[in-house]
This record gives sequence, structure tokens and C-alpha cells, in this order.
Amino acid sequence: MSSRTRTRTTALGSAALAGALLLTACGDDGGSSEAKSSKSNLITIITPASDNPFFKAEAAAAKKKAEKLGYQTSVASHDDDPNKQSELIDGAISRKSAAIILDNAGADASIGPVRKATKAGIPVFLIDREINETGIAKAQIVSNNAQGAQLAGQEFVKAMKGKGDYVELTGKESDTNAGVRSKGFKDVLSQYPDLKRVARQTANWDQQEAFSKMETILQRHPDIEGVIAGNDTMALGAVAALKADKRKDVVVVGFDGSPDAIAQIKAGKMHATVLQPAALGAERAVQQADKYIKTGKTGQPEKQAIDCELVTKENAAEFGLFARR
Amino acid sequence: MTAAPPVLRAADVTKVYGGTHALRGVSLDIAAGRTTAVFGENGAGKSTLMKILSGVEPPSTGHIELDGRTVAFGAARQAADHGISIIHQELSLCPNLSIQDNLFLGREHTRGGGALLDRAGQKDLARRALDRLDGTIDPEVPVGDLRLGQQQLVEIARALLQDARVLIMDEPTSALSAPEVEVLFRVIRELKATGVAIVYISHHLEEALAIADDVAVLRDGSMVAAARAADVDLAWIVRTMVGRDQDDLFPDRAPTLGEPALEIEGLSVADPATPGRLAVHDISTTVRAGETVGIYGLMGSGRTELLECLAGRLPAASGTVRLHGEPLTGDVRRRIRTGVVLVPEDRQRDGLVQSMTVGQNLSLASVPRFVRRLLVHRGTERDAVDAMITDVTVKTPGADAPIGSLSGGNQQKVVIGKALLTGPRVLLLDEPSRGVDVGAKADVFALMAQQAERGLAVLFTTSEPEEALHIPDRLLIVARGRLIADLRPGELTRDRLMSLADGAAPSEEAPHD
Amino acid sequence: MTDTLAKDHEVVLQQRRDAATQARRLKTLESLFELRAFIALGVLIVVFSLLSDSFLTVDNVITMTKHVAINAVLALGMLLVILKGGIDLSVGSTVGLSGVIAGELLQGLHIGFLDAVAYPQVWAVIVLCIAVGAVVGAVNGLLITRLNVAPFIATLGMLYMARAAAMLISGGTTYPDLAGDPATNNTGFGWLGEGRPLGLPVAVWIMIVLAGLVTLLLRSTPFGRWLYATGGNERATQLSGVPVKRVKVTVYVISGACAAMSGLIIASELTSAAPQAGETFELNAIAAVVIGGAALSGGRGNVRGTLVGAFVIGFLADGLVILGVSTFWQMLIKGAVIVLAVVLDQSQQRFQRNRAAASAIAAEHEDSEAPPTAPAKA
Repeated sequence: MSSRTRTRTTALGSAALAGALLLTACGDDGGSSEAKSSKSNLITIITPASDNPFFKAEAAAAKKKAEKLGYQTSVASHDDDPNKQSELIDGAISRKSAAIILDNAGADASIGPVRKATKAGIPVFLIDREINETGIAKAQIVSNNAQGAQLAGQEFVKAMKGKGDYVELTGKESDTNAGVRSKGFKDVLSQYPDLKRVARQTANWDQQEAFSKMETILQRHPDIEGVIAGNDTMALGAVAALKADKRKDVVVVGFDGSPDAIAQIKAGKMHATVLQPAALGAERAVQQADKYIKTGKTGQPEKQAIDCELVTKENAAEFGLFARR
Repeated sequence: MTAAPPVLRAADVTKVYGGTHALRGVSLDIAAGRTTAVFGENGAGKSTLMKILSGVEPPSTGHIELDGRTVAFGAARQAADHGISIIHQELSLCPNLSIQDNLFLGREHTRGGGALLDRAGQKDLARRALDRLDGTIDPEVPVGDLRLGQQQLVEIARALLQDARVLIMDEPTSALSAPEVEVLFRVIRELKATGVAIVYISHHLEEALAIADDVAVLRDGSMVAAARAADVDLAWIVRTMVGRDQDDLFPDRAPTLGEPALEIEGLSVADPATPGRLAVHDISTTVRAGETVGIYGLMGSGRTELLECLAGRLPAASGTVRLHGEPLTGDVRRRIRTGVVLVPEDRQRDGLVQSMTVGQNLSLASVPRFVRRLLVHRGTERDAVDAMITDVTVKTPGADAPIGSLSGGNQQKVVIGKALLTGPRVLLLDEPSRGVDVGAKADVFALMAQQAERGLAVLFTTSEPEEALHIPDRLLIVARGRLIADLRPGELTRDRLMSLADGAAPSEEAPHD
Repeated sequence: MTDTLAKDHEVVLQQRRDAATQARRLKTLESLFELRAFIALGVLIVVFSLLSDSFLTVDNVITMTKHVAINAVLALGMLLVILKGGIDLSVGSTVGLSGVIAGELLQGLHIGFLDAVAYPQVWAVIVLCIAVGAVVGAVNGLLITRLNVAPFIATLGMLYMARAAAMLISGGTTYPDLAGDPATNNTGFGWLGEGRPLGLPVAVWIMIVLAGLVTLLLRSTPFGRWLYATGGNERATQLSGVPVKRVKVTVYVISGACAAMSGLIIASELTSAAPQAGETFELNAIAAVVIGGAALSGGRGNVRGTLVGAFVIGFLADGLVILGVSTFWQMLIKGAVIVLAVVLDQSQQRFQRNRAAASAIAAEHEDSEAPPTAPAKA
């Protein structure tokens, strides 16, 4: 896997960042000036984690786009820790970033830090996840999770021919997207009375947990014909468990469009996934940041949704790293 | 026993721990304004009786009467509220807190409606209590910085502060110097005069008899005799405690001396507690095979450090030690293999593993000896352990009994047995009679003599003059880390011994060349 | 005093009779306590069987046992560490590190100066991963014995460092396919996770063999004896000439190797290795050991208890999944079980003391119906 040759890691990233924070803490600034002249040419990109291909692709796309537009970039991850996110934003403020591209650490917990940055005169562009407040961030560009879930649900129904028992694996119960996706699945699937959801368990977005829970569920419900999962990682765990149980005919549908899932779809072990155009959202955010820096306007409404795309064996070859090739 | 009704009374008290009877139907009257000394071997039940009287533990059957009324103390604190205080055998002080904080621990004097400590008031009270005992101790000093004897004085001061009506002293002098004991006795007489009832326990029989008005003797958990102190003497007490005379304690033997086994030359050992100070200073001596050599010295004289250095636990600062002509080096493990093994002073801390059985403790230092094809051969181990139990006369239901079920003396025999099982050529024993009752003491000394006859070199320390004068073939007297005298015990009187060990203390000059 | 005794004699005899009754009652209770982990497991099995037909089937029991095995392998290593009186918080990270190293090796090892790619065979991959786990354990052990770092701190540091190593090696991403390639002659890694010799998953065999080895180690080798002694009283053990430091380092090495084994099983089951695998696994392992009756202070515990502890945790988790109980309730119930286990353990210790006392008094009662011997006056 080519992406592994990259040397950037969480550990190194945070070490570098800690260094940067130390240095900036020594600086004499701290006042928040709106004056353009004091602004640097820096775009700070903050995503949840660098050990997840989705966030990695998102950060890479944003970085590439920003550098193409002539900006310096700084990339960091907050590991879904609101406190760390707040510290990272403090760092971005003291380094007088021109803009922040943020995939945030919680719909409520992130409101404060975003407001803090905005007050300091730094425009914040949210990607992938929304916050429960409008009018602070300059843009909230998210994948249309509900639309994606419906897409996945429809494909699932088609593959199941509208009947049979199935299992749903959901994401972390505290995560908004887990709820939105689960609801999207239900909106479609509940219209088919012959489709019966025999188990619904959370596997916390985790592959090993999905594997182990799927094995257990198969004991109770050996005759299931389908599995629909809130993300691809869990779908892959289910695929491994089904393989161990020698079940080949079970329809597995995931969400995200991760390269691993696409590989499994090509190999025929997984039926479909829904690709979130992470790269597209990140690029759009950088583009709008650039426009805002230059003109003071984005020219777009704050809330923007990017539609997801269905990936099946037929069209799998058309997709790369969270984007169409 | 006395005309006045007893202030505190134990009525047919029985106490059982883990299957063994510590007390069987014991009754005892404590009179106000008098000192009652309770005698008994270790394991006879003295400490248990005191714990019950002071409310630390409830009796299994029977009851306690205070002023003629039956009382049941839920905890030591309740007993203390009734005016019963105890000075424990084991110090119960927090070494990280100051003397003053220790004195008032759990009963702090407060001001500001109980919210704040009344430090000034506490300090004043602490000062006065300490002055009665030792004018030189500063209440602000952390207890951990005090000598053991001073710590014991703090423990006593704490009891004084509680204005007790009954004061129980369990081995209060075990770490006190002779002058400190005198001070304690003066305080006891003062307290008696004010009507306080004192219960006094000590394994220093003479000392206890000297301060007592009434005596009671426990044996095997039963009260075997009670009398007025004036009517009895030391010999009677020993006889009643053990059922035999004290002379039987010390074996008569004519040693047959062999080759020099342990040759110590110019050995110095750094004090592990105080950097820059020598605990053992340039000591030279030779112990022959078949010889028992005693080291007499007070606490802090360097006797423990000397043995620990020989055993490989402390490094030598300078000097050499030879074992049968070969230089003795290496750590504890290596020295045990070459035949030098130590029976440590603190049996609970350094000698035994409480979570294991008697047999496992005995074989702990010799496990590799029982290995056949990588595994411990149970049969071989069991045979060796059973033989050793017989050899060192451990009284136990069997090798599988938990070590905690044995009396102090038998536990000590297990530690000695563990050392003997390694097949040593030199046996080092640090205070082998500490915390051991009279009967077991005789057994321990007999064991040492027996091992010497088998050709072992035996080197042991003691702080009991009687032992120093009767047990060893040769006696070394140490003070302040230096060898003061090296002589045959027969050449010495008790007074001369004490003055040698004591008298040398204030002077840095060693009279010995 | 004699008068008092005579007067109270009848009362005393009655007290002793009561004690005998109490002793019998306590003895029954105590044997219940001894078996409490087994009883807990039995209760779990009965309750889940009643609530769901699919719980107590051969297939499901095998599947659940396979899940248990991953934790049990960790817990057996943890048991040794806890018997010593230590703790190993780094095992979860070692699980992740081991999988990542397996992934890296199976994908081909780039040897920079030769500009070549080496493909170690599967057996070599397994050996190397376990060696890496052992090295992590050795570092823990040396930090603790040579530099006197408290076990909690040393292994906490290692928890972060081993995880960081896994992240650094993998670049933070998952190795997606560990099946190997016939062309490079390194296929077969999947066997650890999928193989079923004699009908049982490999993981279960590993657990059984490891449990047997650890039992033998603890009961019949000098090392086992030394380990219990070190946990019981380290000073006394050292003074007995036992190589205490070696014992300590060894338990961490074994614990690390067990963790690596666990990591390999997980990676093999998923035929993919994620650097974040095994997060918080150390807590499950500690819980299994504690439920199994081991004392965190050291010196007390055994293999049987630890295995039962692992089964209780595993069966509980899987049973709740079969019933469709939500994760939040699963966590709550697991926490309650752990606390209850320790509370029962404390009560057992207390009951043991009380029973011994009561039966001793009763024995006295049977010995002598006659009044106790009157004290001999001088």
C-alpha cells in the first residue's frame, strides 16, 4: 500500500506541534488583530486522526490544494479529543493562520473553539462533520450522510431482492453520523416488510469488535442474508467473520468508500459501499477559504452538502482514494 | 488480689486466630494505682490479652468489665474514650508526619469551629508531654528522623496525652537505652501515684519484676498463676512460665575447634542509612569451624551491618573476608551457594513469606536442589522438608500448614531450618532470640550448639547480656562500629560487659587495638 | 478467678456450642466462596441459556471460547506479572505492535542497502513477532529492576511507546491483506485465525497449551515457587538467595510474548492488521485475573481462576450481544461484575478467618465438656 511509505505519524505530528506551541508561547503576541497585514500565509488543517485512511485522504487533499494555491500548510490531528482540538486551535491562532480547515471533534464541544478562532479573525471552514451552531464558521461542507445512507439502503434492498433477515452494525453511539446513517438505512429498509432486522449492535467503528460481534450474532442467527454497516471498517470485520463461517452468499454493504473496502468489492467479497467524497469536500473548503481570504466572501451558503456516490463491482475501478479517479 | 475493686477486668476470655487458641478462659483483674506485670513466653497470649483489653480486638468468648460493668468495645477508639490506652509492641507511628502530628493523630485539637488545626495549642501540649520523657526532642521533627528508642518515647507520650485511667504497655522498653528506661519507670511511678492502673508486659523479666506490684503468668493461652510481686522472685517466674529453670536454657558444651572457617580482615562497611558514615569500622577476627561466636552490642553498634555484609547484602567499603581460605565475594545468592547464610533479625520482613506454607518457606532457599528434569520433585522436597521440621523441632501440624499459624518461636525455627537446608558452612544469625519465647529460645541455642558440633562456624549477634555471657564460645563486643573486646565469656561479669558496651559509646576512641 | 470461671462455665459451654453451629454454617459459605467464579460462570450460562436457544450450542460455545482465548492468553501473562505484585499496562499496545510487525513482514521487508525485498516465511514471522513482544516485556522488566521505576509507571510509558512504534511502522494505516502470496512463499498466516485442528480453533488450542504450560511453570518449577515467594515477600525471597530480579524480568518477558501471540491471533482472524488493535485490552486481562481471585498485591492467584475469569468476561459480553443488549448496558454489567468479584474475594478472606476461629472454639467444646482447668495458684 503506497500510502504507508509516508512518514508522517501521529506521534511525530504531535511532537512537532508541541514544539511549535512552545515556540509560539514564547512570542509576545496574543492580541487578536483583524488586520490582514499581520496574517501569515498559513492554512492550518486539523482532522480527527492520521491512522484512518479517510481522514488521511481528507487532510492530504486539503494540503495539496492549499499548496497549489500558494499557501503554507500545517496538518495536525485531534484524536477526537475536544481538549486537544482546542489546544490546536490556540496554536493556529497564535501562529496567525490565514484560515483553519477543521474536521471537528464533536458537534457541541467544537462550538467554543470555532468561535474563539473566528473572534481572533481567523475564518474556520468545517468539513466532514457539522457543529450545532450556524453563523460562526464560514462554511460547513459535509458529505450528505442521509443521502448516502439512503443510497446504501437502496442498493442493499436491491441485492437482497427485498426480503430476508439482516444485521445492522452501527458506529459509536455518541457519534452524530452513526445516528444519521442508521436512520437513513431504516428510512429505506423499513418500507420492505419482508426485510427483517434480526440484530442491531454497535461495533464502535472497529474492525476487531465487528468481527467478534458478527461471529456471536451468527450463532444466534445463522440464516442471515445481509449485513449493513455504518462504516467500511466494520463491514470488513463482518466480511472476515462471514468468511471464517464459510458464508459466501451474504450481502455486505458498508459506508465510506475506503480503499480496503473497494478492494473487497472488486474481489467480490463485499457487495457495495457508499463513497464519501472526502477529497472533494476538503478541496472545496480550501477553495472557499482562498476566496474568503482574498475577497472576504465565500460566495456560498454556510451549509453545503456533497452527495455520496455508490460503489459496486461494476464501477469500482472508477474510484481512488475517497474520490473519483 | 487487692482490696479495692478492679478498674478493669477480663472475665473468662477466649480468643482464637486461624484455628489456634491464643487465649483459653483467661481472667485478670487490673487494680487502680498499681502496676500489673503480665509474664509469659511469646505465644503465651500476652499481646492478645492486651489487644482485647484495649479494644483492638473483640474476645471470641467471655467479656470485659470496666468498673464492674460489662463493656464491648467496637474499636480501639471506643476503649480510648473509656480511658484505656495502649502502647503497642509494634510502633504505630506515621514516619512522614511530625511528632506533634503523630501525637494528636485521630484526636486533633481544632479551632475555628473544628475547621482548622490548633497547631499552637497542640505544640504546647506536645512539648509538655515530651518534656516528661526526654527534653531534647523537638515536636516539629518528622518521626522518621528519630532513633527507634525516641520513637518509642513518642508512642509513650501519645498515651500520656490521652489522660488514660488504664495504661497498657506492651514491650515499651524494647528499643530504649538504660537511661531512657529509668525515665520511663519514673513516669510509671508518677502515674501510679495519681491512680492510673498500669499493665506492663516485657520480656525483660527482671525489669518487669522491678516495676510490678502484681504479677500474672500466662502459659499456652491459660492464666497459670497470679501473685503479689513482693512474694515471688525471678526464678519462680521463669519456672512458672516455662515449667523449668533458667539454667536449662543454656547448653553446656566443650567445643572442638577446627580450621579457620571465616577470616575477617580490616572489614569496614558504609552505613546504608547515613551516607558518609561507617557502620562497621575496621573489624578483624576469625571464626573457626565448630565454634560459636557471639557479637554483643547495642542497637546501632554495627552488629547487624557486619552480618549483612558477610551475607552479601551490603557491600564492604574495605577489607577482605575469606571462607576456608578462599576470598568470599558475590551477592547473597552466590554466598549461599558457597556456604554462608544469614538468619535475619526481622523475621516477618526479611525471613518469611507469609502467603506460603511452612514447607515452602523451609525449602525456599534450596529449591534448585530438588529439581529433577527441570521440575521440582515433590517427593524429594517433601522428604527434605519433613526431615528438617524434625531436626529443628518445629511444632506444626505439618509442612502444609500456613506459616502464620505458628508461634513466633516456631517461625524462627523455620527461618533457621531454611538456612540449614542450604547446607551452609558458616551460619550467621542476627538476634536469633528476638521475639522468641523462653522455651523456644533454649531450642534455638541448642540448635546453634548442635550445628557447631557438626562442624559449622556459627556467628550470631545478641543484645541480651545473659545470652552473651552463656551461649557463645567466644564473645566479641562492638560499639559504634568498632571491635571493643574479643574474649572468652567466662572472663567477664555482667557489669563489665555492660560497661564495655555502654561506656565506649560516648567516646570515639576504641580501647581495643 | 476460679469462682468466676465456675459461675460462667455453663455460659461458656453454650457459647462454644453456638460457635460450632456457626462454624458449620461458615464452612458451607466458604466452599461457596471458593467456587464463586465457577458459580458466576454457571449462573451466566444458565441465565443466557434460558433467555436464548442459541447460547448453549456447541458452535456458539466454541465461538465464544475463541473470543475468550484472545483475552485468556493476555490474562495468563498478566497473571504471572500480578503474582509478582506488578502490573503490565503495555499488553494492549503490544497486541497492536505485534500485528503491525506481522503485517510489515508479510508485505515484504524492504532492505534499503540491498534495494531488495525479503519475504520471511510465516513461521519466521510468528517467531519474530513473539520475540518483539518479549523484547517489549524485557524493556519493562529492566526499567523496573535496574532503574527502579514503579511497574505502573514503566508499563504505562510502554503503553504509549509500543503504540507509537506500531503507528510509526504502519504510518498509521491498516495492513489490509495478510494472506501472503504463493509467489513469495509466505502464505498460511490465516491458519492461526481460521484453522480448526480436531474441530477447535487454533486460538483455543493456544489457550489450552499455554494454560497447561503456565500451570506447570507455577506448580512444578523453581521459577514458579520463586514467583509466589517474590510476590509474598520480596525482601525475604531475595535474602534466601533467589534471583528475584531475574524472576521479575522473566514475568514481563512472558507477558509481552503472550500479548504478541494475542496480536497475531487477531491479525490472522481479520487477515489484516490495524495499529490501533488491542486498545484497552490490558484492562480486560487485569479484570480476568482479578475475577479469578488473584491479589493485586501479589503472591496469591492461579491459572484455573484466571481462566474462569476470562470465561466470565467473555461469555458475559457475547451473551449480552446475543440478547441484543446495548453497549452501554454491557459496560455497566461488566463493571459491576468486576467490583462484585473483588468484594466477594474480600469477604472470603474474612470468612476464612472467622470460620477457622469458630471451628477451633467448637473443637475445644468437643474435647472438654468438663470445666476448664482452674488456674494453679503459686
